[in-house]
Amino acid sequence: MSNVVVLDNGGGLIKAGFGGDRDPVAVVPNCLGRPSSSKKWLAADQLLAADFEIAAVSIRRPFDRGYLINPDLQKEIWDRVIGSLLRTDPSTSSLLLVEPLFNPPAIQRATDELVFEDLGFQSLFVADAPSLVHLYEASRWTADGLAAMAQCSLVVDCGFSFTHTAPVVQNFTLNYGVRRLDLGGKALTNYLKELVSYRSINLMDETLIIDDAKEKLCFVSLDVPKDLHLARKPGRDNPFRCTYVLPDGITNTRGFVKDIDEARRFLYLPDGSSTTPGVQAVDSQEDAGPAGDRKRVDMNKSEFDLTNERFLVPEMIFCPADLGMNQAGLAECIIKAVHACHPYLHPVLFESIILTGGSTLFPRFAERLERELRPLVRDDYRVKITCQKDPIKGVWRGGSLLASSPDFESMCVTKSEYEELGSARCRRRFFH
Amino acid sequence: MEPEVVSSEMLLSPVFSFKKVQMGDKYPKGQARGRHWKHLKQILQAENFQAYTNGRPNYLNIEAPPSAYPSKKFCDITGFEAPYVDPRTTLRYANPEIFKRIRMLPNEYVQRYLSLRNAAVVLR
Repeated sequence: MSNVVVLDNGGGLIKAGFGGDRDPVAVVPNCLGRPSSSKKWLAADQLLAADFEIAAVSIRRPFDRGYLINPDLQKEIWDRVIGSLLRTDPSTSSLLLVEPLFNPPAIQRATDELVFEDLGFQSLFVADAPSLVHLYEASRWTADGLAAMAQCSLVVDCGFSFTHTAPVVQNFTLNYGVRRLDLGGKALTNYLKELVSYRSINLMDETLIIDDAKEKLCFVSLDVPKDLHLARKPGRDNPFRCTYVLPDGITNTRGFVKDIDEARRFLYLPDGSSTTPGVQAVDSQEDAGPAGDRKRVDMNKSEFDLTNERFLVPEMIFCPADLGMNQAGLAECIIKAVHACHPYLHPVLFESIILTGGSTLFPRFAERLERELRPLVRDDYRVKITCQKDPIKGVWRGGSLLASSPDFESMCVTKSEYEELGSARCRRRFFH
Repeated sequence: MEPEVVSSEMLLSPVFSFKKVQMGDKYPKGQARGRHWKHLKQILQAENFQAYTNGRPNYLNIEAPPSAYPSKKFCDITGFEAPYVDPRTTLRYANPEIFKRIRMLPNEYVQRYLSLRNAAVVLR
């Protein structure tokens, strides 16, 4: 009985596991990293080890702008994932691979070669991320909602390399309706690197450290002018200022936020949002004594401060024009994607918007998106945004669901068919 | 493949009729795998999407179009709101103290601040 390996090949993280499981076995970075002190290139999960030196790491990725251009590098990473983490033999398994939308044929050929000839899988099925997300969410809806009856939704996938807004109808992605924003986790990390390097310490080489700082400290603000005004206040009145301490290799190998509770203080501001039920406003004037020392940046310890960068960085997704990129923001992208479809579909699509992808994990992302989207949509259409419970693993879970369906085997392309017909003919089975 | 050949682990790649360059010829014995991978821009140029005029969606035409709304202006030095622009350097600033600093910057730094916003003057 052959088992199915479900592999979500992303630009940032690889999610790999067996079909039918609830969770992927491995969620590891899709890159090779080499710390400056050693000559050996470490793959995927070795980068997450506790004793890994995180400063000045050079990273090589097989992906470039979201597409797989370096199959050799990818083969090394897959060897590590499939060999040591999944511990399975490819020649007895089928592969369900998740590829990005609009993969150029040259890359499709290279990937097929990698799967069938280098690794030797028995059969292959290629899926795209939005339809898998739709499949997973549809299996969790109740049967009486409008969206469940219409079987379509708009999937917003904010990944590492770019963001796609894709309408999905009956598990089938509408190609002509997809719109792409060239902004993702990678662009946000690069922007934060530039800001910190210009304003405090030069950290242009420290991708992993800034990634960590971005994930812990950045959030989406609901009202940018008001928050900017608050961020200018000195000292304790400023609820946003936070310090991040860099690793020094001796006492701490990973960076950390100086005071994690201070970092969360912005959640308790009385700004009328209903995300934090039953909270009182924090008294900011009373305990100024010991807190005063905490606020001073210690120059001996190599740390840096973040105030308005915390919310200006995710702001880039909603408004790239502020930063010189000539593309529309996420809300407009959604509108354009929906308007590219048939008018009868518009109300249904607006009612079931699904957010997925790692870059949607910023706090208050969904609220801000709803606030931006509501004025742009007709009054009699309802706007409902659903966040996936686990955006990073969401696509993988859809793949696992698909792999465990009874007629999955008949949908795949087997190795013998590939050898007879070739890559182009086989790919035509997959519709994209 | 005969079972003896397979079990002796000499992997002779088969010859496929649909391929122009066979695997065996791509990496002849003794030569390491090529390091020259095409970057995405080169692949896209080779695809030549402009030649397809049938309106089908492809990588280039699904890109989000420019925004229809005016953009907000942020200060180049501090990141706060910037209602003012320095006429000499076109840097945006938020208050007069920052303006004093801007006037003291050397030209190289000015261009680097502008390049954060994709507004630097690029001489070709």
